[in-house]
Amino acid sequence: MIVASVFSETMRFFSHVPLLDFFFGTEWSPQTAIRADQAGSSGTFGAVPVFMGTFLVTLIAMAVAAPLGLYAAIFLSVYASAGFKAWAKPTLEILAGVPSVVYGYFAVITVAPILRAGGEMIGLSIASESALTAGTVMGIMITPYVMSLSEDVISSVPKALSFGSLAMGATQSETIKKVVLPAALPGIVSALLLGISRGVGETMVVVMAAGLAANLTFNPLESVTTATVQIVTLLVGDHEFDSDKTLAAFALGFSLFFTTLILNIVALIIVKRYRELYD
Amino acid sequence: MIKLFKRRTRIAMQQVKKKKAPFTYKAYSKKPKHKWLKKRNAQERRFKRAGFIAILIAFLFLASLVWNVFSNGYSAFTEAQIRLPITFQADLVEERAYRKIVQNSLLEIFPNVKDRKEKRALFSLASRNAPHLLKELIETNPELIGNKEYIWIPTSSAVSIFYKQRLYEQAKRGGKITPSQTSWITELARSKNMQLKFNTAFFKNGDSREAEQAGVRASTIGSFLTILVCIAMAFPLGVATAVYLEEFAPKNWFTDFIEININNLAAVPAIIFGLLGLSIYLNMFGLPRSSSLVGGMILALLILPVIVIATRNALQAVPPSIRNAAAALGATPTQVVFHHTLIYALPGIMTGVILSISRAFGETAPLLMIGMVAFIADVPKTLTDPATTLPVQVYLWANNPELGFVEKTAAAIMILLIFMILINLLAIYIRRRFEIKW
Repeated sequence: MIVASVFSETMRFFSHVPLLDFFFGTEWSPQTAIRADQAGSSGTFGAVPVFMGTFLVTLIAMAVAAPLGLYAAIFLSVYASAGFKAWAKPTLEILAGVPSVVYGYFAVITVAPILRAGGEMIGLSIASESALTAGTVMGIMITPYVMSLSEDVISSVPKALSFGSLAMGATQSETIKKVVLPAALPGIVSALLLGISRGVGETMVVVMAAGLAANLTFNPLESVTTATVQIVTLLVGDHEFDSDKTLAAFALGFSLFFTTLILNIVALIIVKRYRELYD
Repeated sequence: MIKLFKRRTRIAMQQVKKKKAPFTYKAYSKKPKHKWLKKRNAQERRFKRAGFIAILIAFLFLASLVWNVFSNGYSAFTEAQIRLPITFQADLVEERAYRKIVQNSLLEIFPNVKDRKEKRALFSLASRNAPHLLKELIETNPELIGNKEYIWIPTSSAVSIFYKQRLYEQAKRGGKITPSQTSWITELARSKNMQLKFNTAFFKNGDSREAEQAGVRASTIGSFLTILVCIAMAFPLGVATAVYLEEFAPKNWFTDFIEININNLAAVPAIIFGLLGLSIYLNMFGLPRSSSLVGGMILALLILPVIVIATRNALQAVPPSIRNAAAALGATPTQVVFHHTLIYALPGIMTGVILSISRAFGETAPLLMIGMVAFIADVPKTLTDPATTLPVQVYLWANNPELGFVEKTAAAIMILLIFMILINLLAIYIRRRFEIKW
């Protein structure tokens, strides 16, 4: 049903705007004409800057979440005592349960000023709505998710494997790096993929912290925009339903849906294919 | 041979004489003999430390998040009030010039203020809602007309924040509060005519353009209406789907297909559900925009797959012996499910449902799509009234640059988090209390 409804709207959009322009155009300025003779009255829908922005923010988020989540998971499953783990894991999972609006508020009120002050100290000017802010906060948000998933995976690696390695005289860290992690790799990769798919679809943090201007840039200090932000800005408020503008939002939504779907399916396939290798 | 033996004994005797420390792991690990071992152990320590730091950073985030919200938000629960000698002159009441009454009483305390600009600064001490409060007071107590009464009046949000956070230093450098306002506030505070009181307006009012009058009542009720619709739709539908798939459905490609779809739906970004609601509920069915009905229906779609998965897991956990026993006693398959399996699975189902409701409670993005972000000051009375929910209210206030709204936002987040903690505690309680271990 979802597919059908979003897809049909998307098709209507592409009947107005050519497919190639959407996926490869580099100008994004969706606007409906106020006057017929206005310059750029039809709006241009090149979604590349939007996708790039999404990609950039997600990349930053994963740069925060992947090492933090993985190291935390390893520490919890291997080094931490049972008592510490028993209260630390649920406590950190609170972070995953906090609504994303709260993270958006956190980004605007706390993280953005800190990053700006830090940037000034080393002589960088960071826009108040930057990809870095949004990415960092989104990373914080995904961290417990990645941690929890990969901790489960690491714990489910048979103990005999690591005992064997330890008995051969390997240190704990060598055992983890050379034995446990390779065994848990498919699970960890799928945990990271699920984290990415969450980041791509996350809305509130980026709406509040990332900005609206569609810059085609790789500079994380500038303001970028993401697919979810564009959907929100295009659709919030009263619009007629068949303008190019609203239909563009549906096209973006469809690409978003498709991307996350593929990520999830790939993650599932990886887990399924390699899961029982060591049992 | 004997020579060799003797020699060995001698060496052994020598070692005993030296009283060499016995071998222990501790002594060994304390000073590794070889360079490479030292390196490996250092690596080990580094790795462990990295893990610990990762955990520490994660905790730091959690702590700073909580600290941030609380330190910004706790002050919103109090508001500063000033005591004014209010004279209810009959003619002014007749003209409904309550604003004039407030202004007169302010001038009565500070009679030296003559300048126009200064007067305006003085009048802005009191909340812009003060005349409205006086009007209500008169309507309930008409005998006040013509009398003079000392009444506590809420201050404007700038003054309130100034008084609460003691920003005297900041005011000297220039800020929202002018130097003369600072002196008036100091004067009022010294003469005990200024007090901090529990902010009832925050719980009694809906949204407002004035920070000191904005409250969470409308959005909280909107949230509850939305969740009500959500439960009413998602719970029966989700449980029925799960029971059918788990207990009755034949195993073929079609049910497999549905199963895969449900699993994938659980991971679809929330905003897509907003798009769906926009195009189907609003566009095709023509349901009213920004109503809690549509919001609840969208959230129901959002949590439906989660409920189905949780219910199926709970049903799977019921051991087959229960089913077999019921069937052996002559129960029909329907009776087996509804009299036995479902009952035993109920605690698990409830836990899953409640946890998914906590997710729906905090969801914002799909509600933005259907226009629940409109400015709504009234408490919604029916399901089709325009409504807003707590997280959306947080979003709206967070976008408001006025200083007074910063603490309101944090306070609204506190209320949101408290509700979510309560919901989660309920889930934990049900799990602990009713869970059956097989």
